[in-house]
Amino acid sequence: MTTARLTVRLSQLSLHALPSIRSSSVPLPLLAPASIPTQAQLTWVSYVHRDPNYKHFAPNFGFKRKHYIEKFKKDRKQKFIKVNLPDPNEKDDYDSMTPEEIRAKMKEKGIKPVRPWQERPVCISSTTSTFEPYVPPEGDGKVSTLSTAGAKQKIERLEKKGKSMMAVRKIRQFDDDFDPKLFAADAQEIYIASHRALADGDMNKLHQCVTERAFPLVTHESRHKTIRWQFLGSLEPPRAVHIRCTDVISKENIFAQVTVRFHTKQTLAVYDRFGRLLHGSEVVARDVLEYVVFEKHMANTYGLWRVHDKIIPDWMPPKQPVRRTYRVKEMEEEEEEATPSKEETSEVADSQNEKPAVAVA
Amino acid sequence: MSRGVVVVKTFVVNCGVLSKALWGGRFAQAATPLLATPHAPLIAPPSGRPFHTTESLKKNGKMRWEYLNNKMYRPTPIGETERPAFVAHVKKNLKYSPDKMWYIACLVRGLKIDDAINQLKFVSQKGAQFAIDTLEEARQMAIRDHYVEYPSNLWVSESFVGRGLVYRGYRRHARRRFGKVEYKHCHYFVTLEEGDPPQQYYTYQAKLTPEEMLQEYLKELRKRNVPFAI
Repeated sequence: MTTARLTVRLSQLSLHALPSIRSSSVPLPLLAPASIPTQAQLTWVSYVHRDPNYKHFAPNFGFKRKHYIEKFKKDRKQKFIKVNLPDPNEKDDYDSMTPEEIRAKMKEKGIKPVRPWQERPVCISSTTSTFEPYVPPEGDGKVSTLSTAGAKQKIERLEKKGKSMMAVRKIRQFDDDFDPKLFAADAQEIYIASHRALADGDMNKLHQCVTERAFPLVTHESRHKTIRWQFLGSLEPPRAVHIRCTDVISKENIFAQVTVRFHTKQTLAVYDRFGRLLHGSEVVARDVLEYVVFEKHMANTYGLWRVHDKIIPDWMPPKQPVRRTYRVKEMEEEEEEATPSKEETSEVADSQNEKPAVAVA
Repeated sequence: MSRGVVVVKTFVVNCGVLSKALWGGRFAQAATPLLATPHAPLIAPPSGRPFHTTESLKKNGKMRWEYLNNKMYRPTPIGETERPAFVAHVKKNLKYSPDKMWYIACLVRGLKIDDAINQLKFVSQKGAQFAIDTLEEARQMAIRDHYVEYPSNLWVSESFVGRGLVYRGYRRHARRRFGKVEYKHCHYFVTLEEGDPPQQYYTYQAKLTPEEMLQEYLKELRKRNVPFAI
């Protein structure tokens, strides 16, 4: 309203100056008194006189969703009550935060502080590696023992090995009936049971067949896969080749490790989640030469002989390649990334070695 | 399908002598000859592997999206075509309106993953970046975990949006009036399948072939009926 009054006044002032130019004979309605503002002309200006800092906003007729003059944007923003929107996808980097910062964050989220002492019972039921591992002789398993060349090949008897015999005597302190020859047969049963448990997905059974150290190695990349494994038979009877005993923490806490040599015929087929064959074949049998380490916690009354480790000598030929192609991860450090993540590294896959045809009469 | 792993901390109650009986004492040779004859394949799947779906993994009667990638399929029977690999991925609680995200989800359906990402790069909306991130993540999952051989051999078979978190606020109006404000989030779901996409993603949009048109015409002819005729 005041806009109109001001502009009317201005126009009146300018018009009053006009009579000097025009002829006085014409009666000018414009010389009427200023008390009648409605007859005067009004002009529109795009600004508000109230705000002295107001800028001129050019009208934008191109963007139809908003008002064509961008006025009062900041004032409009202040009309919305500020709400603290927590980001559900925000992940706190606790490694780079100081303890005070972590405490503040936890308080904010309403998480109670962690207990200052942390008790966790530890159960040592298996060792972490094979101590004094067996070194298989090169050329083992290439020639059949029934041929002349094989017969000439020196088979190292366990009785002649001093340390192994000492270990056998140590085992006999706990288990009177232990005989390496008979044990080899039992070991094969455990070996077969462990493979069957892995193929069936029976984790309870697998824990009884395989030690805690070997469990992650055996089940590595075996989730969401169908494993079909068959044991067809032994090419040579299983033989205990290496026995060692060791104590952990205290002298009486004895763990015994026996390395058994298996030369067997097996089939292995691994299918992925969608039922596509990834590795091996259900029909084609392969000869397998393996040196499997079995471990038992002798000092434990409830100790069991379980698969602990596998000895892979350097002269062993490489595994069968994966059916699908993949891109190898380029590591900056010169780490030995021998087996990429996609390759089967379970014990079962390791067993598929290409051996020359062994003629069994 | 998730399998509960029960770790047996201690051992089976057993003593040394009995263990021999448990595993079987004597060494047993296989009765079949060991010459290199192909062995008959296992027809029945081994027992002991359960194919159950727990109710806790379901939501509204359907398997939860996050667990679709755990579903196992039996090995392809002989004579059947291989099942294509797929990966289901979701990105939750993206700060964007589901109604706006719907347009972006519709754009991407039925395209090859490279085409989808290229198209999204030229969409100047906030949701486009979310979609690109989701597709890239899904692609990496497919290669790393689901044995997809080629990263470009994927197409978008499912792409849809779900409602996420909603925070409610308010705003002032003129003349002491108030209005409510909703700060919306959305979930973006995507399924990538290995292989080539179909020619027509929406089957109802597919044009009929001349043979199909003929069949339709014949159907109409055969449908003709004279009512109340003897």
